[in-house]
Formats: sequence, structure tokens, C-alpha cells
Amino acid sequence: MNSFVIADPGLCIGCHTCEVACVAAHSANNMFLQQEENPDFYPRLRVTETDQVTAPVQCRHCEDAPCANVCPNGSITNNSSSISINQDTCIGCKTCMLVCPYGAIAMVPASRDGQRQIQAGLRSNASGVWARKERLVASKCDLCDESGNGPECVRICPTHALQLVVPGNVTESIAAKRTASAQTLQQFGGLIRF
Amino acid sequence: MNHVHSNSLVIAEAAKCIGCKACELACFAVHNRDNGVGSTVGTVTMPVVPRLYVIRTDSFTMPVQCRQCENAPCAGACPVQAIRQKDGVIAIDADACIGCKACALACPFGAISLYKAYSGGAELPQPLLQERRDSKLQRKTRIIAYKCDLCRDIEMPGAAAGELGASGRDSSVTAVQGREPFPACVAVCPEDALRLVKVGSGNPLSQHREGMTCDVIQ
Amino acid sequence: MLFSEPIIKIDPELCTGCRRCAAVCPVDAIIGEPGKPQEVDAHRCVVCGQCVQICTVYAADSLESGDNLKNKRLQRGQLPSVREPLFAAYSAGQVPEVKRALADSALYKVVQCAPAIRVSLAEEFGLPMGTLTPGKMAAALRHLKFDRIYDTNFGADVTIMEEGTELIGRVMSGERLPMFTSCCPAWVKHAETAAPELLDHLSSCKSPMQMVGALVKTYGAKQNGVDPAKIYSVAVMPCTCKEFECSREEMEVDGLREVDVVITTRELAQLIKDAGIDFVNLPDEPFDSPLGIYSGAGSIFGVTGGVMEAAIRTGYELVTHETIPNLQLDFVRGEEGLRTATAQLGDLELRVAVVAGLKYVSEILKQVKEGTSPYHFIEVMGCPEGCVSGGGQPKLLLETLRKKAYQARKSSVYRHDSHQQVRKSHENPAIIKLYKDFLGEPLGHVSHHLLHTTFHSREKMSPNQALGVKED
Repeated sequence: MNSFVIADPGLCIGCHTCEVACVAAHSANNMFLQQEENPDFYPRLRVTETDQVTAPVQCRHCEDAPCANVCPNGSITNNSSSISINQDTCIGCKTCMLVCPYGAIAMVPASRDGQRQIQAGLRSNASGVWARKERLVASKCDLCDESGNGPECVRICPTHALQLVVPGNVTESIAAKRTASAQTLQQFGGLIRF
Repeated sequence: MNHVHSNSLVIAEAAKCIGCKACELACFAVHNRDNGVGSTVGTVTMPVVPRLYVIRTDSFTMPVQCRQCENAPCAGACPVQAIRQKDGVIAIDADACIGCKACALACPFGAISLYKAYSGGAELPQPLLQERRDSKLQRKTRIIAYKCDLCRDIEMPGAAAGELGASGRDSSVTAVQGREPFPACVAVCPEDALRLVKVGSGNPLSQHREGMTCDVIQ
Repeated sequence: MLFSEPIIKIDPELCTGCRRCAAVCPVDAIIGEPGKPQEVDAHRCVVCGQCVQICTVYAADSLESGDNLKNKRLQRGQLPSVREPLFAAYSAGQVPEVKRALADSALYKVVQCAPAIRVSLAEEFGLPMGTLTPGKMAAALRHLKFDRIYDTNFGADVTIMEEGTELIGRVMSGERLPMFTSCCPAWVKHAETAAPELLDHLSSCKSPMQMVGALVKTYGAKQNGVDPAKIYSVAVMPCTCKEFECSREEMEVDGLREVDVVITTRELAQLIKDAGIDFVNLPDEPFDSPLGIYSGAGSIFGVTGGVMEAAIRTGYELVTHETIPNLQLDFVRGEEGLRTATAQLGDLELRVAVVAGLKYVSEILKQVKEGTSPYHFIEVMGCPEGCVSGGGQPKLLLETLRKKAYQARKSSVYRHDSHQQVRKSHENPAIIKLYKDFLGEPLGHVSHHLLHTTFHSREKMSPNQALGVKED
């Protein structure tokens, strides 16, 4: 089974530190030193705010990931314990983004070694003139797999609102709740007369 | 007075349970006929995946299963509305489930488990999703959430009135009436430790109990 | 062959101590506290396997469980291809050994199936309970590369010739009455343990399985022109105790084991699946002659009362020299643990009792010990409804199906009998030929050497000796 990161809205204070940490962990450029007016800032989790609640939302690494099951060229696969997008082969069809029930996928410019990737063939007149188009690819939480240090968002959150759930946690949590509910019934079961 | 109709549920009595797991086995058997599970053990080609779980502690043993919550947290947590109340049962649509585990974590009783999905007795592969196994990409098996459905759409073999072989008890309390559910776990328990509780069904027992049950369980 | 381990075991890692097995054990051989893993008392255990049938405590096979189950399957003597769940109570199997032997072209592989196999085997392939499939069974065995498909039912017919003659002799002389049947190995072991002083009341006949085994390596070897030492003799039994029986020291003929290995109905199904045979769609095939030709009387050995009925069908005609007016003897059929009746064989009033389930035998044994037993002939089967409910039979997933399954298997056995051309053992042409060409007469010299045996007290044996466990 896969691991995933989940937030406790009761603890989240909406500070967006997790988003910053996510960008820092995944970007080759230091966002604080970038000169551009619009520096690259494409976090893979998004703090969502409503009148009542704030909480970051990101990929749940579903066992039967709908994103992967609609990807037309096998760019989304299951690694040892996460669902992973291969941005090098992503064709930017956006189907995964549309199908994700959590809204956990976004389209972002592709970059390599800090440089935006420009396509060899496809030209676009979006900027007013015909020009070779930048690659746009699907992006989502990868549990900071490559760093080996675990998810940066979890590590950085000042209120510990985020936690990494590993498969063992799920099984243990279910088992513990089962035992607890059995114990409750055993204790108070005498009141429930058949 | 307006009558509020609540979902029925199966509940166990620890004092009677002996831990034989007959309930788990029966649950599995009746839910997997499409997977080739017949009357005997030799027809089973897949792991036993029950929808209730016999818990053992140092001092007692008893099965735990879904209470068919009226405001089911599992359904609230499901991002694809694969969990709905259908004919008085909180039911998971196996085809719609995406295996996100949110329901299993949301359930306070631990009544939901994730297992592989099966079709025709074999593991059901994903449409496209591949996983890295033995260092090559291979089609991944679907993993879905399972929970008690009160055997709503299942005919219990040997359970017609007077044929309850397990404990030989009077079958009038739980006999099949039309489409009333008749859970396999209840039918096979040799110690009569499991009961289908119908809340507000006109049964004098349940009327007497209605308020109390709610108090205790909350 | 001696077993290095007892046959019936309870896995302490799985057992939850629900003690449902203790409730069905006819000899109180299951020991332990409720809620704690149970143990089998090897001395008392009659290896009937009813505990194996009732146990519902299965090994969970979750997403995380790794090689643990694989190792358990290996320890239990299962083929790696087996997928069915494992339970706490089990009987260790011999299928891998049989599979190896089937691949060995130097061996002449012979198989026999008990009467109750053909009414239950199909259940393991999803067919309705009690489906009758002798033809598919014979075909499947041939696909498995057995050289000869013989049948225990033939041995049942031989048993009737020998035991019937023995009974009439004893009734006429009034010696050692009542006479007990001796074809159920669980009953024999129980008698040896609980009532050794009454062992001379047992018929001296070997069981039908052992008779076929003895004939396969003598008469059969001659018929087929093969060296008896090259014959590998397999028996498929509905019974966990038959493995014990075939390993009894005295069950040998001219230095060879009569039956080399026993597998259960469940294990035969596993072997068929492992070989990729499409059992459900197999066209029917016949058994091989002569040791595979049987009468209806032979086929009803699979149910309680069957041996009695078959014996009376033949006994009536031997005593009266007249044709029995009605072949369906309802007075010995049924499912009660103890049935009694009086059969009129001409001038002889034969008083009989039929015991189904060893727990019903103690009262009978007490009467015999006190010399107050009114019966001439007593059939005893260890399992609740005879071999159709044996410990090696397909194991039911739901307790609510048990009665229906036994009913269905029983009515199949009776239907099989009623459809046979020949329904009396002494009219089976293969039996007539066997006595003419080889045995001479029932209880004759050759029969005595091959088909009869002795029993011995197990009272003072160590538990391991009692269960045939090799002691270093």
C-alpha cells in the first residue's frame, strides 16, 4: 500500500509555510534569489481556505489512482509506496487533473536544472507572436521521494498539522479502533439486551 | 409522532462469543459466489476477505463490524461518493472506489478494510496503473474498501425457516421476510452471539431498546 | 510406511481455543482451556478428522502477510498451487509425494477410490452438493497418469463375501457374538484403545481399502503382468484415519505395503486442479477391470447402514438360497446415531445394530462387556453419517449447509446403487471370477493370508506408538 500526507484542519493556521517548503524542496532555483517578477512558485500542495477552515490539500496516493488509470501513455505509475508522475514523458493532456477527486494535480511549466523546457516542435501564438511553446506538465505531491528525508511539508509545519501516514499506520489505526470498539461494547454490552 | 426510520445493524455480545471466526468465514463465503466460492473450502482460490473482524483481547473475544451509521463518516470522507445509503445499508460501490483509504481512516470502529479486488476468483488488475515490482513495471491489482452490507442482496443458503443448523435456535426472530436482510454471520454463529438489530421496526424488543441503544453507542 | 508426525494436528499459532472441535470429538481427545490453543491427545485420538471438518479458525491472508502462509502450506504437505485457506485443525497430507510418483515412469501406478469420493469430489469444483461423478473421477485419474483405475467398491464386495461368510459361521456356531464390522479404522483404533478385551468380537476382515491393496499387488499384478515391487498403490479416501490404517505394520503382503499412500478427497481435488484438468467438462470414462468392477452393494459402503444392508442382501441369499424380495432395506437406513432392527433370513432372526458416530458406541460396548448385548451383528462407523461425512471429505464453508450436504451425498450413494445392474456383492461377475481363479472360497487359505488381519490392544502403548509415530 502507499503512504500519503494528510493535514489536521484543527491544527492548521493557514501560514502557507508548507507550500514554501514544498517549492524549496522541489526547485533547483532559490526562490528568494530569483530576479524575475514572477518567480517559479508551484507548490505541490495547496492551502485551501474557507470561512470556517484552512488546511493544505495534496495527493492521497490512491491505491487505484484515477489519474494513473486515465493517463494515455503510462506516465503515472506506482513506485514502492507512492503514485509518481514522470514529467519527462507527460504530454500535458490534463486528464489526470480533471479526474482527481481531491484536486491534487496542477499543470505547471516543466523545468530542468532551473531552466524552463522549450518544445522542439510545437509553436504557439499565445504571446502574440509565433514562438516555440514551453512544456506544461502535470505536477503533484511525490512525498519528496528523491530527497530521502521524507516530506518537507511535514517537517516544516510549525503546528505539526501535517503527518505522513505510512501503510503500517493505517493498519494499526484500524486495528486499534477495532479493539477499542470491541472493548466499549464488552464494557457496556450488558446494557444492550438482545 | 413522526416515526424516524433508522438503519438496521448487526451487533455482537462478547459474553457469548467463543472466537471461532465462523462469522468471518461465512461472510466471506456468501459475498464471493461470483469469485467461484461454492459450498466447500476447495472452491476458494483467493484469500478470505471478511467484512467483520473477530477481535481477541486477553479477557474476551468478539466480532466488530459496521454500525450502518446514520451520518456515516466513511461516506462523508469519500471523495468520489462511492459510499451511499442504499435500501437502509451504508454500501460501498466497489467499481467506483479509488482505494484512497479515507473511509477506513474516518471510521471510528475500524469497520472498513482495504483488500485486493477480485473478479472471477482472480485478482482484478487496474485499467492502466502500473507499479514497480521486482524492478519492472507491472499492472497493479485494484485495492478497494470492504465493509458490512448486512448481506442485503444475498440469499443465505440453508437459512430458510427451520433450517438453521448452526445453533438450532428458533429461526422466527431472524427468518427471511421478503427483502429483509439476513446476515450470514448471524445465521452461522454457533453461540447466538450476533444479532441483527432492527431499530424502530415495530419489534417490541427494539422499541424498548431504541433510546438506550443510542445512549450507549454514542 | 510410518509417519514421522501425528496425522491430526492443531496449529497453536492459529487456534483461538473456541473448542468447537472438542464438542464434535467422539473420544474427548482435544485438550486445552477455552481461549487457549488446544492439543490433540494422540493416544485417545481416533484420527476421524471431525475436528478438521468443524474448525472455522482460518489463517488471515492480508495484504501484509508474507511467507508465513507459504511455509505453513509446505509443512502441511500441500502443493504450492493450492489456494484454499488454512485452518487451525488439519491433517497433514501426502500429495507432493503422490505427484512425484505419478511423474516416475518406472513405477506402475494404481489407484482406488472409496465409495464416498464420487458423491463429493465434484463439490470441490463448484458443482452442487452431492453431485454423482464416478465417470469424471475415473477420467481425471487417468489424466493424472495412473496406469490402472481400480476401485474400493470392488473391495467392499469382497468384504461382503468374507465378512458375510464369517458372520453366518459365527451365528450358526454362536461364537464370539455379537460380531462387529472392522472396515472403519477409527472404530478399530477406538476398540483397540477402549475395549481391547472385546477385540475378538471384531470381524477379522481387513477394510475394503486394504483388501484392494492386497489384491492389487498379487492378483492384480498377475493380471497386468507387472512386478509387484514396481506397483505404487494409492488410495483416495474420505477419511483422515485411512492414512493411519495403511501404515499399520500388519498391512503388508509378501513384504510390500498393501497401500503405499492414502490421500483424501480434498487432496485428490487439489491434485486434479494442480494438473490443470478441467474436471467439470471431462467426458465419463470407465474403471479398469477386474478390480474396478463393483455392485450396488459395494457402493453403499459410503453411508451409515450400508455395510449392514449389503451384508443382509448377500446373507439372505446365502442362508435361504432364495432371491431377496426387496433390495432397498429401509430398516437399516437413516441418520440416527444408533439404529437397531431384526432381519428375517428364512428361519434365522438376525438382530442387528448400526452405529453412526463413535460417541454412540460406548453403550453398545458396555452391553457386550456385560454379556447382555442382544445383537448378532453390529456395524460401527466413526463419523456421524458414515464415510460421506468423513474427515477427509470436502470441508463445508457454512455450518448451515452441513445437513443438506450429507443428505445430498447420501441420496447420491443410494441413487448410484439403485442404477446398478448388479446390486448384490455375490453376483458381481468380477467377484465370482476372483474366487474362481484366485481365492478359491471365502475364508479359504488365500483369503486368510491376504484379506484377514489381527487387532491388538493399545491400552499400554505410549501415545506415539498408539498413533504409529516413529520413535527414535
